[in-house]
Amino acid sequence: MPKADKRSKKPDWYPLDNAGTLYAAIQKERYSAIYRFSAVMDRQVDPAALQRAVDRTMPRFPGFRVRIKKGLFWHYFEPNDAPGPFVCPDMANPCQPVRFRENNGWLVRFFYYEKRISLEVFHALSDGAGALTFFRTLLAVYLRELGEDIPSGSGVLDVDAPPDPEEMEDAYTRYAGRKVLRGGWQRTAYPNTSRAEPFYTLNVTMGFLPVDRLKEVAKSYGASITEYLTAVLLQAILDNQRQEGRRREKPVALAIPINLRGYFPSKTLRNFILTVRPAIDPALGEYTFPEIVAQVHHFLRLHLNRQEMRAIFTGNVHFTTNRFLQLIPIFFKNPVMSLSYRLVAARPYSATYTNPGAFAVPPEMAPHITRMEVILGQATRPAPHCASISYGNQMEITFAGTGESSETERRFFTHLVREGIPVKVESNRTR
Amino acid sequence: MSYCVNCGVELDATAAFCPLCHTPVVNPSQPVDTESPKPFPTHRVEVPEVSKWEVALLLTAMFLSVAVCCGILNLFLRPELSWSLYVIGAAVMLWLWLVPPLLMRGLHLGLRLVLDVLAVALYLFLISLGLGGGDWYWPLGLPIVLWGGACVLFLGLVLRKGRRSILTSVTLVIGTVGVFLFGLELLIDQFVLGRWEPGWSLVVLAVCVALVIPLVVVRRVPALREEVRRRFHM
Repeated sequence: MPKADKRSKKPDWYPLDNAGTLYAAIQKERYSAIYRFSAVMDRQVDPAALQRAVDRTMPRFPGFRVRIKKGLFWHYFEPNDAPGPFVCPDMANPCQPVRFRENNGWLVRFFYYEKRISLEVFHALSDGAGALTFFRTLLAVYLRELGEDIPSGSGVLDVDAPPDPEEMEDAYTRYAGRKVLRGGWQRTAYPNTSRAEPFYTLNVTMGFLPVDRLKEVAKSYGASITEYLTAVLLQAILDNQRQEGRRREKPVALAIPINLRGYFPSKTLRNFILTVRPAIDPALGEYTFPEIVAQVHHFLRLHLNRQEMRAIFTGNVHFTTNRFLQLIPIFFKNPVMSLSYRLVAARPYSATYTNPGAFAVPPEMAPHITRMEVILGQATRPAPHCASISYGNQMEITFAGTGESSETERRFFTHLVREGIPVKVESNRTR
Repeated sequence: MSYCVNCGVELDATAAFCPLCHTPVVNPSQPVDTESPKPFPTHRVEVPEVSKWEVALLLTAMFLSVAVCCGILNLFLRPELSWSLYVIGAAVMLWLWLVPPLLMRGLHLGLRLVLDVLAVALYLFLISLGLGGGDWYWPLGLPIVLWGGACVLFLGLVLRKGRRSILTSVTLVIGTVGVFLFGLELLIDQFVLGRWEPGWSLVVLAVCVALVIPLVVVRRVPALREEVRRRFHM
């Protein structure tokens, strides 16, 4: 009984999980661990109703109602009782880096523009799957505010119910094993950079394509949609490098976050992801496109298994539970973590590609949402990150980065057009 | 709806150019829609860069307190020696090195180097005051600092412009070192002997020139450059 009592009691502070620790340490002015989900509704957004929906939804999600504080050894979260968060009109340069002391300490932001509702989340709070649960519930509450009858269930949480303690668990620690698998030193990948835009500019280009046609084409290569799109992106970046005319071509590698909830059941709304690294090394010789698809397909099938992934994130958990590392004060630890992020998590990758998959909503909600969008914040260097989300029969793919060049997205989308997939493109670029 | 003639992707009705290849949209049957709202907001939110004033203030307070404390201590502790001038000079020099570049991010490199060199000159001046003799500072110390500063300034400005090849950078550094040492001996001779008697610096200069000439030749002749690249490839 005492244990149950302890669990049901609301904690007044809690430590970050190991992924969050890293995001908090590396957050700075020229890197943004912020991502955005947007829903385009069937009518103009009512900001007052949206604000009421935010106010009603936030208490149900204690993991999002926090501010981040600096302890002596680690960052930690504590409940944020400051006014807000307030919905704001949207801006041309989304996913701005978070500043922990500004905006009343809120780590989530809400925006509206015409028919679009946007949610921006700091990655230390939650991963894409957790944020989408929050967003789905928020949209349901918003539609109820407009007078629609939307039931809870099928992914929409009941905002009147108390928060489930399992939603707040650190699933990494729960599932961490004993054996650690170290990936070893990865080779530096082609950085795919171009000239940087001025401070705080983010170039966003979105492509919209039909899921059924995409699935057909992917199937013709014997691959899933994610595998196929990964291969197209690899091909686009390989072509970028080829055009640059390097004497010594570097490998092209992508960081692909995998949602671990499918492998280790958990209701957590906090981070529970692991990235894998499919790569093509042009130094070994020319790869045809079907060969790239096959490489990606077999790589993912080989490495996505419970045992291997558990051994990898066990290593990450050990990092935060290591007695020696724990005793180093945070102001020494942060620069070291920032440097090791550059060496281990930024340099060996040409780009990130994340696909949270299909956004499913209860049938009552479906007619009110016309499409979904996702944007990743700026990388540590002026190179685009890629993200995609599907809703109904529409796949949305976003390239966002602080570089001037639009070559990666041009090659990516024209490849799809050449394969017979119609693409519609929208962008916030003004030149 | 318009399609990009170059990429084959469908474009938004409000797009005046293709965001992928920047080809302008020219569609007589459907001109660009300038009335409807754009797919993304056009209003940019400018965020001020984080203020560095706090750090600057902290540094200033640190240096100031050290300088003032030592200055006062000097009045009681061995007042016949003005040892505090060393500490005060060091504090002033470090302040000039650290604080102005912190506050003025866009400060031109030339200006910054001039400021840094002046800080060194000031430090040396305070030391010479502490030693109770300006006799070596004005004829020797200051000219050497200024000459060295001029050499560093030259290197800084030339190397900063664009991406220099390794060959060019090495050539410039070797050449500048030779010229600096040549000038150094000239200044020392003038101070010690009152006349110029070139000696060791000519040897150094000759070695530098001997190194620079082949480097320049290799840099200028494409065939040689290719040969060197082939022989020394890594």
